Amino acid sequence: MMSGARFVAAASSVLLLAACGGNTGVTNPSTGGPGVPTPPAASLTGAGATFPAPFYDAARFAYNQKFSQVTINYQSIGSGAGIQQLIKKTVDFGASDVPMNASELASAGGSDKVVQIASTLGTESMAYNLAGVSNGQLRLTPKTIAGIFLGTIKNWNDPALAADNSGVSLPNQSITVVHRSDGSGTTYIFTDYLSTVSADWKTKVGKGKSVSWPVGQGAKGNEAVATTIKQTPGAIGYVELAYVLQTNMTQASLQNHDGNFVIPSPEGATAAASQFLAVNPSQFSIVDAPGKNSAPISGYSWLMLYTDQPDKTKGTALVDFLDWLVTDGQQYAANVHYARLPSNIVRDDINSLKTVTSGGSTLLSVPAPS
Amino acid sequence: MVPTPLVAASHQRPLVSGDRVFSVIAYGAAALIMLIAVIFIIALFIPALPAITKFGLGFFTSRTWDPVRNQFGALTAIYGTLVTSAIALLIAFPIGLGAALFLAEDARLSLVRGPLSFLIELLAGIPSVVIGLWAFFILTPLMRDKVDPFLQHTVGFLALFKGTPTGYGFLTAGLVLAIMVLPIMIALSRDVIRAVPRELREASLALGATNAETIWSVILPYARVGITGAVLLSLGRALGETIAVTMVIGNTMQISASLFASGYTLPSVIANEFTEATGNVYLGSLFYLGVVLVLITIVVNVLARLLIWRFSGSARASA
Repeated sequence: MMSGARFVAAASSVLLLAACGGNTGVTNPSTGGPGVPTPPAASLTGAGATFPAPFYDAARFAYNQKFSQVTINYQSIGSGAGIQQLIKKTVDFGASDVPMNASELASAGGSDKVVQIASTLGTESMAYNLAGVSNGQLRLTPKTIAGIFLGTIKNWNDPALAADNSGVSLPNQSITVVHRSDGSGTTYIFTDYLSTVSADWKTKVGKGKSVSWPVGQGAKGNEAVATTIKQTPGAIGYVELAYVLQTNMTQASLQNHDGNFVIPSPEGATAAASQFLAVNPSQFSIVDAPGKNSAPISGYSWLMLYTDQPDKTKGTALVDFLDWLVTDGQQYAANVHYARLPSNIVRDDINSLKTVTSGGSTLLSVPAPS
Repeated sequence: MVPTPLVAASHQRPLVSGDRVFSVIAYGAAALIMLIAVIFIIALFIPALPAITKFGLGFFTSRTWDPVRNQFGALTAIYGTLVTSAIALLIAFPIGLGAALFLAEDARLSLVRGPLSFLIELLAGIPSVVIGLWAFFILTPLMRDKVDPFLQHTVGFLALFKGTPTGYGFLTAGLVLAIMVLPIMIALSRDVIRAVPRELREASLALGATNAETIWSVILPYARVGITGAVLLSLGRALGETIAVTMVIGNTMQISASLFASGYTLPSVIANEFTEATGNVYLGSLFYLGVVLVLITIVVNVLARLLIWRFSGSARASA
């Protein structure tokens, strides 16, 4: 167990070293800085989504550097498994790219028994492999993306694609659609986007972590999707921005709700998120956001914990950590290509954390930022 | 059960109790295996119940796999599992048997026999995920650029080789499986061919038969029970292989006559979807797929027993 934990910590430290490079104004490590309470000694365990795992790893390592009495383990075993673990109470917090739904909340004892907070923000790119078409040169609209994934646009020289791409020579080559074969939050956000922009998609396929794909082939995980696209001439697929940037893939400019073509970026995700003021666990979709800079295929990732914490010390350490994660901890998001939470969401998160109690008394004592 | 003491009881007693201890341990071990098997089947069956009650036997004939609408069927995955395993055996059987005959029969090349046997055992020891990685990065581009276009050029008039090759699909998966089952096929066949009594070969040769005739009419008929066993063990491995297949089959829920098309197998669906499967029916359907896979394996094993029983029976009758 120890050597495993050390290995994870060592792996995270690589991330952290990279993370420290661009940081300014890091709070004083010994006191934790203003507004950050000193947590009690505790060992916390969380499990769930793989999508935000690089961010959680960087953040929990940084937190442990700051407060060595708190160790946090995170097992990235998938959102569904994370929710199951939370329901079985084998972990202190769960993580999911999609908030728990009504039946899952019922299994956990009811919607008032669980607090769900948005922890980070990600966006997705359309990565492609087309000889002679460089990064950002391919322009895709909601209509053509839906057409490609519905199988109505089969060839790169399709007139619908040519109409948006004057000046780009698109080859006479069949399109190979690549999608995730494993259930994933990435797929949920992408199919949520397609269901929002295409009535055809909504009725024929719908949204979900796994769907019944009309065309294309599946690959397991973001890495395999990215590699399959890179290996296959004429391929296109949806990939998390982080993987696209880390592996230097070519990605398309996407037309957003306002009609602008944008290249997805963390800033674009934050811009999209700030358009939705009333995000909550049952109303969380931020795809196809208005705003001229908004990245259209964006989404939150969520953390879940029980409202009533059985162990007061552990509960206090947990809410202190989560409070830090959604505030100071956000600085570790950018280095692994995730986006900062907009301020209204941070405020909502802290207000939610304030409802967490143990033996009837509130555990979080910091004021919410204005 | 306990043998009657032949000598004085005072000497025998510790031995008897030693026997008892041993027999208890042996019975216990046997009972534990049965217990594990029973618990395993129950543990597979219970979570599958929501899907079994909802879809019943229609699960076997339905091609739908739609997590959004909670409608599931296993036919597509059963098809992919059987097709890829069949391709694997079609490739591995002749090559494996040829190699086994060479290793067992051709004494002139005893210098290469040792290293070759070693290499085959080495191939058997490579973890499937490593073979999968190799297939994903090296084999799929090779299939797409060289092998598939060649097949299309030469035998492309067959429905089996129509469509645009992407390098992923039934054919590539079958080929990867063939590579994985070859060592089993070769090693087992070699051993049963070697076990053919020397007198039979010598009698055949003495009667004027050529080497080829001896192999065809004496050695292979004698060894066919063992070779059948090798084929069925290979099939068992091919049916259950997960990760290497997942990496190259393309993971698409479709039934296609073309071997260039992407497909899906039972173990691949389970491995891909269980982490994010929420809801009893969805998770239950994945367990139901597991039940289907176990059933197929049982059917294969029963067939193997029947075949071996029939062959050995007819061999005895004709002797």
